[in-house]
Amino acid sequence: MSRVGTWEIGEIKFPFSEAVRFSLENIKKRFTRAAITAASVVLGIAFMNSLMMMAAINQQVSGMGGIELYQYWLLFISLLVCAVGITNSMLIAVTERYKEIGTWKTLGALDKHVLELFLIEASLIGLIGGLVGYIAGLVAAVIYGAVFQGAPMDKISSAFFGTKMVPLPLPTAPALLVLSLVVAVGISLAASLYPAYKGAKLEPAVAFRFEV
Amino acid sequence: MRYEYTVETEDLAKYYYMGKYVVKALDGINLRVRRGEYLSIMGPSGSGKTTLFNMIGGLDRPTRGRVYIDEVDISKLDAYELAWLRCRKIGYVFQTFNLIPVLTALENVMLPMIFAGVPREQRIKKAIELLNAVGLGDRLHHKPGELSGGQQQRVAIARALANDPAIVLADEPTGNLDLNTGLEIINLMRTLNKEKGVTVITATHDLKMIDVSDRIVYIRDGKIERIETRAEVAVEA
Repeated sequence: MSRVGTWEIGEIKFPFSEAVRFSLENIKKRFTRAAITAASVVLGIAFMNSLMMMAAINQQVSGMGGIELYQYWLLFISLLVCAVGITNSMLIAVTERYKEIGTWKTLGALDKHVLELFLIEASLIGLIGGLVGYIAGLVAAVIYGAVFQGAPMDKISSAFFGTKMVPLPLPTAPALLVLSLVVAVGISLAASLYPAYKGAKLEPAVAFRFEV
Repeated sequence: MRYEYTVETEDLAKYYYMGKYVVKALDGINLRVRRGEYLSIMGPSGSGKTTLFNMIGGLDRPTRGRVYIDEVDISKLDAYELAWLRCRKIGYVFQTFNLIPVLTALENVMLPMIFAGVPREQRIKKAIELLNAVGLGDRLHHKPGELSGGQQQRVAIARALANDPAIVLADEPTGNLDLNTGLEIINLMRTLNKEKGVTVITATHDLKMIDVSDRIVYIRDGKIERIETRAEVAVEA
């Protein structure tokens, strides 16, 4: 590395495994905060899954229908609301941790390390929120199908696994799981970029002066 | 033991602009701190102690003047070099302890060593050694919330020493502690200063600090009012 005066400026390290461990500790210790952030994801993803699955059940019952354009519009808006919710929640999380960010930096953390910590946390929250939202959405769809459409179990099962092909194929449950996790992590990451960047750029002296 | 002065400041100034008012937090500080010295910066609140602490510690940029650590002008360092300086050359102790709340005492002390790239086995060994040295050998796996103020400050001191820094900077280290606990912390810092030869600079208005300091720098309104060495203080007392 470089030399300054008589100093050999060495490498500053922050292994990814340590970063993941610290992010997990953060989520565990600040569970309520993480749960509020995850709730945004859960709602958005649950809406997406119920919409898709209810349409699939409708198809199995009536042999027609799909997802209307305006429903995609609804889905888009709901995911946007979900993203804004995450941004808001993460901004508060970052602000709450100003002093902690300042401390990390006095110990040698670089901007990118702080960014990494928040983005890993966002990914984990997205992953958990996506999984819970997926399950919630499917449960809602089953209740809708069984109770409101009077669909027999085999039709619901066909809707889930696409065994009986209908005019407009919709994603099956396993495909929806992948889609849910990708969308959830993607939205969570994108929505956390600005808060994480704001925290990472913080100078220690400014961080310590700040009073919540 | 190459440099006589671990810290040197040259006409150091920090101004804050509040609308049309200029607050001169520091206004022309010239200070030299010898290797191994225990120096206290005394002054009423608002005198510029914390600002001076931030400048020497590379936590904030001066408006004017220079800070040299081991004869290196730290205003010339880029972000990476500054992070390295904070990690390897300086240990920080704060009034509010500033431990990472989700990590145990042991993990808090290990944290600076992760950034320094110390292998895991060595990290654990060194952190246990340090926590033993500050008298917390039986509290390794407690989180800050499960420790008293004095114990938290001991963890912070152990953490400050993790990478064998040249300087330990302490900003009001006893400010949140009761009389006896404060005294224990002061004595601990003095002991470590003597044993390890680490330079200690504390910003404080705790008069207990006078007894252990080699020199006391009094600052007022961002300027050095006077400097006393311990012999003089003892005579006055």
